[in-house]
Amino acid sequence: MTTFLPHLVRIAAAHDETQDVRTLRLEFTDPQVGRQFRWEAGQFGEFSVFGFGEAVFTLANAPTRPGYIEITTRAIGKLTGAIRKLSAGQVLGLRGPFGNHFPVEEWRGRDLVFVGGGIGTAALRSPLQYALDRRADYGEIVVLNGARSMADLVYKDEMKKEWEAVDRVRVVRTVDPGGETPEWDGEVGLLPNVFERLALPPDNRVVIVCGPPVMLHFMFMTLEKMGYTPDQVVTTMENKMKCGVGLCGRCNIGRVFVCRDGPVFTWAQVRALPKDF
Amino acid sequence: MSHAGADSTAFRLTGGELTEWLAGLLREGKRVIAPVEEAGLRLFRPVTSPEQICLAPGKTRLSPKDSLFPKNEKLFSYAVRGDEVTLETPPAEDREQVLFGTRPCDVAGLLRLDTVFLKGAPDEQYAARRSRTAIVSLACESAEPECFCTAVGGGPAAEEGSDVQVLAAGELWLVRPLTAKGEALTAALRGRTAPSQEEWAQARAGIERAEASLRQNPVAREWAAVLEANFDLPLWEAVGQRCVGCSICNFVCPSCSCFDVHDGGNAFCGERCRSWDSCTFATFTRHGSGHNPRPTQPSRYRQRVLHKFAYYPQSNAGEFMCVGCGRCVRHCPVGLSIYESVNQIVSAAREQS
Repeated sequence: MTTFLPHLVRIAAAHDETQDVRTLRLEFTDPQVGRQFRWEAGQFGEFSVFGFGEAVFTLANAPTRPGYIEITTRAIGKLTGAIRKLSAGQVLGLRGPFGNHFPVEEWRGRDLVFVGGGIGTAALRSPLQYALDRRADYGEIVVLNGARSMADLVYKDEMKKEWEAVDRVRVVRTVDPGGETPEWDGEVGLLPNVFERLALPPDNRVVIVCGPPVMLHFMFMTLEKMGYTPDQVVTTMENKMKCGVGLCGRCNIGRVFVCRDGPVFTWAQVRALPKDF
Repeated sequence: MSHAGADSTAFRLTGGELTEWLAGLLREGKRVIAPVEEAGLRLFRPVTSPEQICLAPGKTRLSPKDSLFPKNEKLFSYAVRGDEVTLETPPAEDREQVLFGTRPCDVAGLLRLDTVFLKGAPDEQYAARRSRTAIVSLACESAEPECFCTAVGGGPAAEEGSDVQVLAAGELWLVRPLTAKGEALTAALRGRTAPSQEEWAQARAGIERAEASLRQNPVAREWAAVLEANFDLPLWEAVGQRCVGCSICNFVCPSCSCFDVHDGGNAFCGERCRSWDSCTFATFTRHGSGHNPRPTQPSRYRQRVLHKFAYYPQSNAGEFMCVGCGRCVRHCPVGLSIYESVNQIVSAAREQS
């Protein structure tokens, strides 16, 4: 029995991004397992807090930064609520990595735009780190990180200290109208509108977008209006999943199992699915 | 549909001889799981003596699915002491089991589970249980009002998946080993008399009787594509609105395979388990954020129908994930019939196009 038996990972550090979002740095209790654990940008794991169950989180650090795993979670339920209360030294379960991944190698030589809404930005962090770590392989990089309010914006520190510090990387921070404070110096507006204002021409560009379903809906409309084709837009779907390997049935959309056939899909693939997500 | 012919490797047994054979399997240490009467229900249960077995016409309340894919199963236990966690997997079960008296529709259900649990990602616990399971099917001499196996590719004497097939011939039982596993299971019967032409004819008459009362028109394989293409048909709303979301259909279904994974216990010790789950529950797909991909009962009922009659067949060579046992039809509190729903949607789709 191995499919459902997790590896054990220990919390090395916990960083509170916002009032309800925290990033955990996890290290394998068995260093041998840690050395052998390989993943690709965009894959996910089933993480468990024993006694609280298991849930899916994206592996939020790039495979170019091996030896540990990072996850960013928002406290909204039983398991994520438990995660919010854990401290360094405590042990979680990890099964995975599962799913397909972002085609980061195919993107070489192209301009990249990462568009993340709220906690959705967590799913973009691994491919972003990958591109930052292999900066010479990619063209212009734009990161659009949006949240409802300034207080809800994730990765505030690393946006400034790490992402912007890399050559030819532009980071645009935005909050929904009403979410700004007097000292806010970023953009104000809904993500699709802010994206449109950036007026990035579609040529040779890949748009990687993740956020709540309603944001994705309007992002796709905006992208279409701006002349982007469904093949140059990539997203990652975050359906509820219990097994991670295409058995438990709950991530099923049409003939697709998000855990097995995704979670990464092009907008062209998403458009072909029944409206059941 | 029926292949019960003059079969040189078959044995004819009296009731007493059948009992003797089963007693022999029990003596060998095999777990024999068969229909028994329990509190007014007929259910599959491990038996300690062949006399407990009830081979009357008709189906058990539930299929023997539970013997391969338990309703609730422990995956491992955990113990947390301070910052240390230990996990312990349950000991491997190695007892051979025989599913005796399984109706052909329920065998078909187990074959669907095989597709789900053995074809894709490895499910070690299912695979281990399956490899030490032999299936003895019992052909039907009569059909119940809700049965529609012949409409979905099955039949009262379908053989596929059976290691041994048993047919009733009046007071006698005709026993046909069909696989190597079946040969081994019937080793003790070697040398017994083969059935006579008259006995075969008697068995065939029973099967034909059952076939004659199965009058539903077949669900055509091409309908899978029609259903899939008509996801947005407004009729789904009217059809699915009657569904109350009780999920009895999933729980009595011999082929439903969806499950939940959850912890039973507290933050110090407990078990991780998996349990049967249902696509007609709102919580099945609801995200932590509150967003639900299938927010209404009709959208959930549509998923159940389409998974069985459109998505699964399109990914598995046209085979439906419904075996026509009709239990969901019989037990639905609002009288929904998946067979009727499929027919309604396809007719409406045809009228529209």
